[in-house]
Amino acid sequence: MSLRQLLLRLPCYLGASGPRRGPLDTISSVVSWRGQSSRSPAHWNQVVSEAEKIVGYPTSFMSLRCLLSDELSNIAMQVRKLVGTQHPLLTTARGLVHDSQNNLQLRGLVVLLISKAAGPSSVNASCQSYDMVSGIYSCQRSLAEITELIHTALLVHRGIVNLDELQSSDGPLKDMQFGNKIAILSGDFLLANACNGLALLQNTKVVELLASALMDLVQGVYHENSTSAKENHITDDIGILTWKKQTFLSHGALLAKSCQAAMELAKHDAEVQDMAFQYGKHMAMSHKINSDLQPFIKEKTSDSLTFNLNSAPVVLHQEFLGRDLWIKQIREAQRKGRLDYAKLRETISAGKGVTSAIDLCRYHGNKALEALESFPPSEARTALENIVFAVTRFS
Amino acid sequence: MASCWCRWRRGCSWRPAARSPGPGSLGRAGLSGLRAAAAAAARAQMSYFSLVKSLTSAFPNMCSISRFHHVTPAVCCCSKTRSGEKYTDPFNLGWRDLKGLYEDIRKELFISTTELKEMCEYYFDGKGKAFRPIIVVLMARACNIHHNNSRNVQASQRAIALIAEMIHTASLVHDDVIDDASSRRGKHTVNKIWGEKKAVLAGDLILSAASIALARIGNTTVVSILTQVIEDLVRGEFLQLGSKENENERFAHYLEKTFKKTASLIANSCKAVSVLGCPDPVVHEIAYQYGKNVGLAFQLIDDVLDFTSCSDRMGKPTSADLKLGLATGPVLFACQQFPEMNAMIMRRFSSPGDVDRARQYVLQSDGVQQTTYLAQRYCREAVREISKLRPSPERDALIQLSGIVLTRDK
Repeated sequence: MSLRQLLLRLPCYLGASGPRRGPLDTISSVVSWRGQSSRSPAHWNQVVSEAEKIVGYPTSFMSLRCLLSDELSNIAMQVRKLVGTQHPLLTTARGLVHDSQNNLQLRGLVVLLISKAAGPSSVNASCQSYDMVSGIYSCQRSLAEITELIHTALLVHRGIVNLDELQSSDGPLKDMQFGNKIAILSGDFLLANACNGLALLQNTKVVELLASALMDLVQGVYHENSTSAKENHITDDIGILTWKKQTFLSHGALLAKSCQAAMELAKHDAEVQDMAFQYGKHMAMSHKINSDLQPFIKEKTSDSLTFNLNSAPVVLHQEFLGRDLWIKQIREAQRKGRLDYAKLRETISAGKGVTSAIDLCRYHGNKALEALESFPPSEARTALENIVFAVTRFS
Repeated sequence: MASCWCRWRRGCSWRPAARSPGPGSLGRAGLSGLRAAAAAAARAQMSYFSLVKSLTSAFPNMCSISRFHHVTPAVCCCSKTRSGEKYTDPFNLGWRDLKGLYEDIRKELFISTTELKEMCEYYFDGKGKAFRPIIVVLMARACNIHHNNSRNVQASQRAIALIAEMIHTASLVHDDVIDDASSRRGKHTVNKIWGEKKAVLAGDLILSAASIALARIGNTTVVSILTQVIEDLVRGEFLQLGSKENENERFAHYLEKTFKKTASLIANSCKAVSVLGCPDPVVHEIAYQYGKNVGLAFQLIDDVLDFTSCSDRMGKPTSADLKLGLATGPVLFACQQFPEMNAMIMRRFSSPGDVDRARQYVLQSDGVQQTTYLAQRYCREAVREISKLRPSPERDALIQLSGIVLTRDK
């Protein structure tokens, strides 16, 4: 069986049934794009598929060298052993496989688009000998893949389980240990491939940028873990400023620095690099806020839909209300130690948290558009604008 | 020695040494040479182990090995200090350049969050022996002196020492989670104190800090050399996950894993500092070969010590590798004499009593001896290579270090 076939069959092995409703999928159901009301995923996918046409071909999940490695088939086999267990790696793997089928690697796509939008440097002609396909240098394509590798590696590492926090409902300890082992190795494998890819770019500034993006990302994931709700559903007291800093680390830094690195590869000057950085940063922030807003915006919400108590609308809600009142509201929404998310959601929606989150999302969207203004008009630039429109429209 | 041959089941049609690869091939051609040797052995209907035996016995001035598990230094250190300078302890010599090593590493870990910083700094407490950084700075000086008699260590070369130690530590942190280890270097592991989730993140963080430091040196060749290490470390772990049926394959698999997990870092760090210090590719290769051979020997002795380090240290041997299901050098050699070990190896010593039985077999066999022989072979090769450099105290220290690798007892 070829590796490609193995990958395509993975969903069956992983016991997947139908497309997973991940955060990226749910955006589309409420996004209204260019005045058209939409309740279907079609419009977000439309934005994405048009963007993919512009950059020449769909962003691949991993470089071919990576796909052909023994390790990947080894990983696939090991992950199969996890079917039937509760280890988070299984969920991550399912999500990744689906994403690769839908070709929804947003970061990679944005890096390619911004590379094309910037075009070759008008000032520095040293890249003239590089080969270019659809207006993008092959080193920039490689960078896009590396960005996705780093993102995926941390996605996998996020799924490690603390063994001393396991409960009987999590299943046998042995399974969790094994799952952890495979998760660590898979993540490390992806990171090693990313490092190799970076070395091949023969540009130490780019290596430094992406390595520092990795450092930011790891710290961001650490904060996510630390500030997540404890037993009593009460999160740490973080204000919106801290939230922004932490969200930049966990969501903004990778895309921002990657966009900047793409400019560096084409030898653009510092100004262009900065504009690319700003686009990446603000676009990622608005994307995250949009994702946080989903539970509060959907028309038909099931009662059991939970939401992250550290998401933008909730943090803003607490900011307006003050800590004590917020804690009181949480307690009121608790019944026998379980949190009634539906009730809490109503409480939050009645406050100013949701509307100010929408405002914040649009603020970042506008900053992203501002950064784009310095790029010459082109199909690629329009696609980048459309992505911003898609994440900032709330009907 | 001759009596040993009777015990080989498959050694009967052993061809004379002329057909087998020469002595240098173990070191020079490295692993591909070993695999070629294994293939040659298979073609010559000779078991891989008898090949190794033939190589080790073909050299009359080979150090005679007694039945003791520890080898005395005087026998093995065949170094000649032509430089005539005073023989100092290599660790002292190396530490002159490494003052502030751990403080500088901690500076690279510029993390604002207290707990995360604490976790990342946990192993950089100045208590480790810093074996790898010592080799790196000694090699840097040896290469610089060889090139143009320069008695300086460049800042970039010193940075390699830091980076090597950081990469090594990052891999240790992850390995401890994978092996569910509770203690290391006399204290609790990061995963036991802070949990597995944070431990994995700490490892990633140290790796990213090492990569930033590497990029800052500004040399793309050096970046390529050291990123190879990161890839090798991961591949080494994967090799450990799998196991081979065929006995000949098993040994080659074991040596490949040993190279990737241990020797690659040392070999490539040595190569990196030589690239920074000297433009001559011959010197780069010497540095690489020294590092590789010392690294392989280091790990082989480590595997031996897992069986032999005992009474005066812990009251009983650790057998940590067996408990993890790993069949290392001594076990693989022992299996030649006791084929009943095959089944245990295949099931990774998972049945009750396997670990103890395997240990007994190993101690009854000459597995420990054979592994030590092999380590000595590698050290001799390392010495042979490094002796090609211009004499200097550092070069001699590196020669001495290879002997220390063989004689340490943890």
